[in-house]
Amino acid sequence: MSLLELRNISKIYGSLRALDNVSLKVDNGEWLAIMGPSGSGKSTLMNIIGCMDKPSLGEVILDGKDIAKESDKGLTAIRRDKIGLIFQQFHLVNYLTAVENVMVAQYYHSIPDEKEALEALDRVGLADRAKHLPSQLSGGEQQRVCIARALINHPELILADEPTGNLDEANENIVLDIFRQLHNEGSTLIVVTHDPEVGEVAQRMVTLEYGRIKSEVVNQNFGK
Amino acid sequence: MTKQKMFLRMITASLIRRRSRMLVALLAIAVGGTILSGLVTIYYDVPRQMGAQFRNYGANMIFVAADTETALTMDAAEEAASVIDSGDLLGMTPYRYETVRIHEQPIVVAGTDIESTKITSPYWHIDGSYPASSGEVILGSDVAELLGLGVGDSFNATYSTGDDSDSDEPNLGVDMKVSGILETGGSEENYLYMSMDDLNELAGEKDSLQVVELSISAMQEELRSYVEQISENSDAVAARLVKRVTQSESTVLTKLQALVFLVTAVVLVLTMICVATTMTAVVTERRREIGLRKALGASDKSIIGEFMGEGLLLGGIGGLVGSVLGFVFAQLVSVNVFSSSITFQPLLIPITMVVSVLVTGLACLLPVRSTMAIDPALVLKGE
Amino acid sequence: MFFRMIKGAFVRQWKKMLMIALTIALGASLATAMLNVMMDVGDKVNQELKTYGANITVVPKTASVVDDLYEVEDGTSASSGAYLREDELGNIKTIFWAFNIVDFAPFIDTTASLSDGNGVTVVGTWFNHHLDLPTGEALNTGVHSLRTWWDVTEGEWLDEQTFTSGTQGAMVGETLAKQENIHAGDTITLTTEHGSESFTVAGIFSSGDSADDQIYAPMDAVQTLSDTDGKLTSIEVSALTTPDNELAEKAAKDPGSLTISQYELWYCTAYVSSICYQIQEVITDSVASPVRQVADSEGAILEKTQLLMVLITILSLVGSALGITNLVTASVMERSNEIGLMKAIGAKNSSISALVLTEIILTGIVGAAIGYFAGFGFAQIIGQTVFGSSIEMKPFVIPIVAVLVIAVTLIGSVPAIRMLLRLRPAEVLHGR
Repeated sequence: MSLLELRNISKIYGSLRALDNVSLKVDNGEWLAIMGPSGSGKSTLMNIIGCMDKPSLGEVILDGKDIAKESDKGLTAIRRDKIGLIFQQFHLVNYLTAVENVMVAQYYHSIPDEKEALEALDRVGLADRAKHLPSQLSGGEQQRVCIARALINHPELILADEPTGNLDEANENIVLDIFRQLHNEGSTLIVVTHDPEVGEVAQRMVTLEYGRIKSEVVNQNFGK
Repeated sequence: MTKQKMFLRMITASLIRRRSRMLVALLAIAVGGTILSGLVTIYYDVPRQMGAQFRNYGANMIFVAADTETALTMDAAEEAASVIDSGDLLGMTPYRYETVRIHEQPIVVAGTDIESTKITSPYWHIDGSYPASSGEVILGSDVAELLGLGVGDSFNATYSTGDDSDSDEPNLGVDMKVSGILETGGSEENYLYMSMDDLNELAGEKDSLQVVELSISAMQEELRSYVEQISENSDAVAARLVKRVTQSESTVLTKLQALVFLVTAVVLVLTMICVATTMTAVVTERRREIGLRKALGASDKSIIGEFMGEGLLLGGIGGLVGSVLGFVFAQLVSVNVFSSSITFQPLLIPITMVVSVLVTGLACLLPVRSTMAIDPALVLKGE
Repeated sequence: MFFRMIKGAFVRQWKKMLMIALTIALGASLATAMLNVMMDVGDKVNQELKTYGANITVVPKTASVVDDLYEVEDGTSASSGAYLREDELGNIKTIFWAFNIVDFAPFIDTTASLSDGNGVTVVGTWFNHHLDLPTGEALNTGVHSLRTWWDVTEGEWLDEQTFTSGTQGAMVGETLAKQENIHAGDTITLTTEHGSESFTVAGIFSSGDSADDQIYAPMDAVQTLSDTDGKLTSIEVSALTTPDNELAEKAAKDPGSLTISQYELWYCTAYVSSICYQIQEVITDSVASPVRQVADSEGAILEKTQLLMVLITILSLVGSALGITNLVTASVMERSNEIGLMKAIGAKNSSISALVLTEIILTGIVGAAIGYFAGFGFAQIIGQTVFGSSIEMKPFVIPIVAVLVIAVTLIGSVPAIRMLLRLRPAEVLHGR
């Protein structure tokens, strides 16, 4: 059953087609990697899937509803309830502690729950750094806090944009391990990346070029 | 943890942990609060303090006999004066005039309360000194010239009613001494001033005054109402305003207050604009954070609420600091300019805080509303 | 290249720079307005205090007129025969401090009888008299300006220049008018041993002092009544003065006791004693003395008002300085990325500083210029609203404001720039 379906999506800026007639289906529990060089349109695609932007043409069906037709308020609600976002630049609020940063996501969703937030931090191995400010955490630790935050509201879809782009190899592996855990628990993962190593650990790889899908590869070696 | 608690935690963390930024914004607001409370205090105090200066012009009200039949007695005068607030009645000086003979010349003598004249006629210039004991008098400079008397000179004054035929005793008169010569540039220089007791000894007791001068600390409208009340209540006393003094005082004081008011208004507007620009800078700086929150699902309303919350909290703290500093400033002014303390208005602290909160809120409104336009996608992806 | 970068900054970042320029303009306008008002307020309040009337009286040296303060005496006020000369009146406007003489009026007193035989004091004076001066100027002056507290309860002020009645006009004090049942428009006849004159009552006034029992009439007519043509008993003068200090008091006692430089300083400052001295120089056999009640009090009020304004101005200046420093620092910190980048590509500290400082100073100059004119506007609004006249703009406020703005802008930017330059580019670029 597909959780997300993009039907003939185009994003047009004047004479530039950032996305040109892209169609894609993502199943529940699937781990998808979207790849491509810069300028290929993957950021634009990410923004549309993440409900931060609307396509010029086409439909985006998430959980049966066409979100392309939603108002800005509606999009905000969907972001809040259904999607967990992880960014390349691990955006954390610099004056809140790790646990407080996780609780911010809860705050906008429902009710902040410190216990739950601490548990989320524990899942990513940061239980003992809960009271630290971002400036006191390493790059890898900051990204893990972002992941904990992305998960706190049990989203249907986890969207990660170059999650390991700013990390060293050791930290990259830690993050990919967490992703594996999440996949095993049944979460749907879409990871946008330009790094083939990150793309190859997913179940399926979709490659974009000049706003169009160039290729789609299913990972035969997944899970082994 | 409830949503409200988290809200408070976020806004206080923002202010406490982002210390330098917060201090900068707080400074702008505190400066505005200082100026507001300082100038408002001065505005309300100017009439009282400057008013006290205007008392240097002397008496602003006089009592005269209501008609030519009734005598103006000291008792009647004091009773009439009882309607005036004891705190406002600074001085009351009675005057009784008689003509006496000194060096064969007719001289008009005024019997009065010498101590009291220091309040109702503070502009008197005495060459020498005020009378220290009985028998000492102040001589107007014109009279002094006429009689050829100087400070320290003694003379003899005689008073006669013209009924000397009754008396068998020779009219010896009273020996008196000049303690000081009076210079005013006005008609006082034509008179001789002595204590009421001395005049009673010289010319016999007579409970009848020509005029009573009063120096009252009050504005023109209040003075006018006193005049009305006294005219109603008293048969013997007619009260009149010394227009020369009251009219001018009113004009000048009103202008001074208007000046302070305008300056306050101008400063306040400029401060508000300054706070607005500071808040705009703060919002601009936190663009990414705003985009992040939106990406996490914050509604525009939420974001506006959070920033307004910070702004209002800042306004409150800044207002508190400002009101205290403003009081200090006003006190400084009062002591240095008027050599007296200002009356502390406890109400001013909450008022300044409220105004500060309102002004900060207003100043934040535009910049915070502009956060609605922030596109999380643009902000989070781009630099 | 330097100029290209500056031009680039202005062209592309003009919105940001405009905001900075505007805030500097605000601070500068506040400073300009306050400084100008502060410097002019002394003169303005001085003018206002003229409502108290004359602060100098001039009498003949040998005069000793005994009169009553509050009652009318019958025919006892006699002058000793000494008078001032009417033809010398214009000389008052020729003294060193002529410009400070705001108003003056001559007086001649006499007693006369009304038609019913009752005696009254008659004061001859100018009401709104036109005087041609020996210097070629002309002015209008008289009791109208010196008795501002008179309330005209019936009729109107007598104006010699416009009064249309065939006979002369007069003004009657309220108390006397009630006693004798005189109203505006009535004709009264005053008789002395020298003759009779008829007057049409232009107005009834209430003064709150001894004048309420008297009649005021034009100079010439009263002189005829008392046979004192060309003679005056006194002159009242209203002058703008500088508050007294030690020097003034010393000089007032004896000008001869001053050293030459002290004397010059005193003569050339508008102390009331100095003006009195100068009047005595031009009016023969006269004694000019300050009316203490007015002159002394004026001084105190002026001093305090000026001090009050100075302190308020300082507060405003501190406030605007803080505001500008605040904003300039913030705007420099905002450019941390740019500065870090420039350092990363190898620019020297001095050239980075030069660039940023030049931009800020140029913005500051623009802001200060705008602010000066805005401040001019604010000052005039304050002047017109409060005093009904324009504030005189003192030219040396310009350099003061310019220096303030430059100083404050530098204080705001230099420490911030130095701090940023000390950071390692990596820190700045990666936003730590």
